[in-house]
This record gives sequence, C-alpha cells and structure tokens, in this order.
Amino acid sequence: MFLPKYQVVAILIATTFFIEPLAAAPFAYISNQLGNSVSIIDAASGKVVDTIGVQGKPAGVAVAPAGDRVYISTPEANGFAVLDTKKRAIVAEVPVSEGALGIAVGADGKHVYVADWYNNKVDVVDADSFKIIKTIAVGQSPSGLIVSPDNRWLYVANRLSNSVSKIDLSTLTVTKTTFVGTHPFGLTIDGRGERIYVANVKSDDVTVLEARRLLLIATVKVSTLPYATALAVNDSRLLVTNQDDGSVSVIDTETLKEMAVIEVGSKPEGINTHPDDRHVYVANWFDNTVSVIDAKVLRVIDTIKTGQGSRAFGQFFGK
Amino acid sequence: MKKVMFVGSIALFLFSAVANAHGPVRQKTEEQITINAPAAIVWDIIKNYGDMSWHPDIFNTTSTGGNVKGATRVLTLKDGATITEELKKYDEAKMTYAYKITDISTAKTIVHAGVEEKVPALPVDNYSASIEVEAKGDTSVVSWTAGYYRAYTNNNPPVEMNEETANAAVGAVIKTGLFNLKSLAEK
Repeated sequence: MFLPKYQVVAILIATTFFIEPLAAAPFAYISNQLGNSVSIIDAASGKVVDTIGVQGKPAGVAVAPAGDRVYISTPEANGFAVLDTKKRAIVAEVPVSEGALGIAVGADGKHVYVADWYNNKVDVVDADSFKIIKTIAVGQSPSGLIVSPDNRWLYVANRLSNSVSKIDLSTLTVTKTTFVGTHPFGLTIDGRGERIYVANVKSDDVTVLEARRLLLIATVKVSTLPYATALAVNDSRLLVTNQDDGSVSVIDTETLKEMAVIEVGSKPEGINTHPDDRHVYVANWFDNTVSVIDAKVLRVIDTIKTGQGSRAFGQFFGK
Repeated sequence: MKKVMFVGSIALFLFSAVANAHGPVRQKTEEQITINAPAAIVWDIIKNYGDMSWHPDIFNTTSTGGNVKGATRVLTLKDGATITEELKKYDEAKMTYAYKITDISTAKTIVHAGVEEKVPALPVDNYSASIEVEAKGDTSVVSWTAGYYRAYTNNNPPVEMNEETANAAVGAVIKTGLFNLKSLAEK
C-alpha cells in the first residue's frame, strides 16, 4: 500500500503495455478510399476499434509479416503510408510514384513492392530506409501483387496486358509472363506456393495457374466483374468478390467448380482470410462495410460498418 | 446542369465503347430525397426500367428485356446523345434496382497531351448505380447512388474528363431526377 511513486508508475506502464492492441490480435486493416482513412477491425469483437486518417485515397493494403506495420498505398499521394500497429498512427509517408496502387510486402518483411498503375512497373522499396532499390518493368497497368510463401517469387497481374508476370525476388527480374483472362486484377497464391488464382474483371472468370511455370490449369467462370481472390479452409475454397453482383463466388479448388454464391454488400472489392483460415472478410466499397463470411458454412455471419469507399485491396490481415 | 453535362455534345452518332481501365480512385455520389407520397406511388413511377420519362433530361428511352436482369435500355438525351445501360439487379419487393452503363456516345473530341480524346456525353467510366424507394409511414425516401471513375483513365486528366467534372455531371443527373420524381409523386 505504501509503494513509492515510481513503482506505481511502473506497474501502470506494465499494465497498460499488456492491454495494448498486440494482445488482442488479429486485426483487419481496411482502407477507406473516399474517407481517407483506415478502419482497424478487432476480429475477436467484430468492432472497429480505431480509425486512422490516411491522406491520398488509400487503396492497397499489406500487413508486414511481424504485424508491426501496415503499408497502405495512397494513389493520390503517389506512394504509400506506413501505419505503426502499436501506436496506431501513421509514422511515415513514402513517395514512390504516381500510380501507386497494388502493394505487397516480402515474407521476410524486408521489402515493400508497389505496382505503378500508370507507369507499368513495380518498385521495390527497402522497408527500413524506404528507398527505392529497384524498378522492374512489367506489363500494362499492373494491379494485384502477391509474394510466394517461400519469399522467392512475386506475382503481378498486368491488367491491360491480360497477363501475369513472375518476378524472381533474388535477382529482381521478370522470369516469365503468361496470358490469363481479360483484365486480371487481384490474385492470390496457395499455402504451398503451387497455384495462383487470378480474378479477371472483364472476362468474368478466374484463371488458375500452376505457380512454378505459370501454366494454365483452368479457367473458372464466376459472376460479374470479379475483383480479388482469397483462399480458406486449408486452401480448399477460393472466394472471389464479384464487384458488379454484390456477391462472393466460392470455388471448390479440387473440382474447380463454383459451389456457392454468397450475397454480400454492394461493390465488394478487397477480400482476405482471417488467420483462423475460416473467416473471410470482404470490403464493400459502396456500402462502407465489411462482410464476414464463414467459409465453412458459406454464409455471412457479420457485417461491420467501416468508412467511405472501403477498398482494402491486398493482404489486410495481421497475423 | 445540362450546361455541365451536355455542352458540346454535337458528335451525336459517334459511339465510343466505354473504356475499360480503372483509374485508381473510384468516385461515389449519393443523394436522398424525402417525398410526401406513399412508397408504392413513388415506386410506380420509376419501376419500369425501360421507361425513364420521369427524368427531365431523358428525351426518350428504348429498351429490351423488361425488368429482368440483363435487360438493356438506351437513354436518348435532349441533345441526341445516348447512354446505354444494362439492368444488373431488380427487386420488386425491396423497390430497388441496379444498373450499369455499357456505352456512352461521344460529346466531343479534344486534344490532350498530344492525343485525341473522346469526351463521353456523361464524362465517366465504369459507371454503375442503384435506386431504392423506402417507405417511411405515408412518405418515402428515395436513395440514388452511383459509383464510377473519371472518364480519363490515364494520369493527369484534362479538365473535361477529371473527377470534378465527373462528380458535377453525375450529381446533376441524380439531383435533377430526384427533384422531378418528387414533384411527379406529390402532384
């Protein structure tokens, strides 16, 4: 009861530390493009616990593997913002180039990759110094980016070239480019790094590629304007946002057939899977909400109010 | 509003396919209006997808497919410009439907950054919208929302095809329509 003052302070600090956000992971970081903000959803409570202002029409999201930072592309600020997840504050704004949209971070957390929609390139940015260390020419209007789980490859969807490029992350060069459907946008890779799933906005389908040589495995028809893809339930189900249909198509990755269409909000865009591998979060641009889908039972179990123009294009879940 | 939207739409029969590129930032316009008339009466005015005569800027509508998803309509504006739209969703019970623009005629051609650019009569790209009537007792609330990109899909747009111009044009279309709907329903 007669603790010296500094001990009380120390205890308070320690207590505060332990109830800080880290304890309650995971969080989903949802970019609200028209609202110039990021909503932080605590997945345990299904509530937005914080909203952080981000200027420059935040679009793409990539959470660092360590979960300490979130990289958010800001097309109108020509680069990306760095969100410190402990402080819940923007700690840096990194200029990259004028069409910054798609964004990804290496599996080792050392590099941030930014696709430049206007200038047909991917910039490789050092995650410590924030310096551009290499610029890689790719196809036209590069959009979605995904890094392989072993951190050896970066895959890029080139929207106007109707292709996917594979970049070797040790040499930072394109090793192969292959045609897919019309206007590929978002893409994902399975846990073993064996398959790529690309949503083709214009041809209303998903191209399934063998990841090593980019050989075509299948083309699966979905609904209208598919935007992005996410895998769940041990990679057995692929979920695809259908922008124009307000729905998510679910594809059985074994039979490669559409097994369900789940109604979500209007203009669903970004989609990403909770680390529990079962719940899939979908940002509904038009409704300013996030739908939570239980990928096992295939229905929406929650709808969370976010901000104006929720886009969340990329890997927006902290592990 | 016609000043914003349709000035210079003289190239009546030059149709341009809606470009397919998305600039990075999609725009949104949302408007609501409270109408002192029951929802059923308001819905009755707008429910036929192939009849947009309730909107004062639309001179004529031709359509195929009725009120079924996939139906198309061609809206002819007073100056002859046309907008082609496809019905994407229709829900009679909820008194709502959604549609998207598939084609817009060219209003004029400008030179920007050394390249000829066709300015669409409605200066937008990849436009989709929905309209909904909601009953509020004896009155109703109509919500009309649209999502779209600016018409210019590359970097550094000309003023005729930038976001401000797109937002002004869409805002004008929606407001004009809602005001007129209110006056028709409250008659």
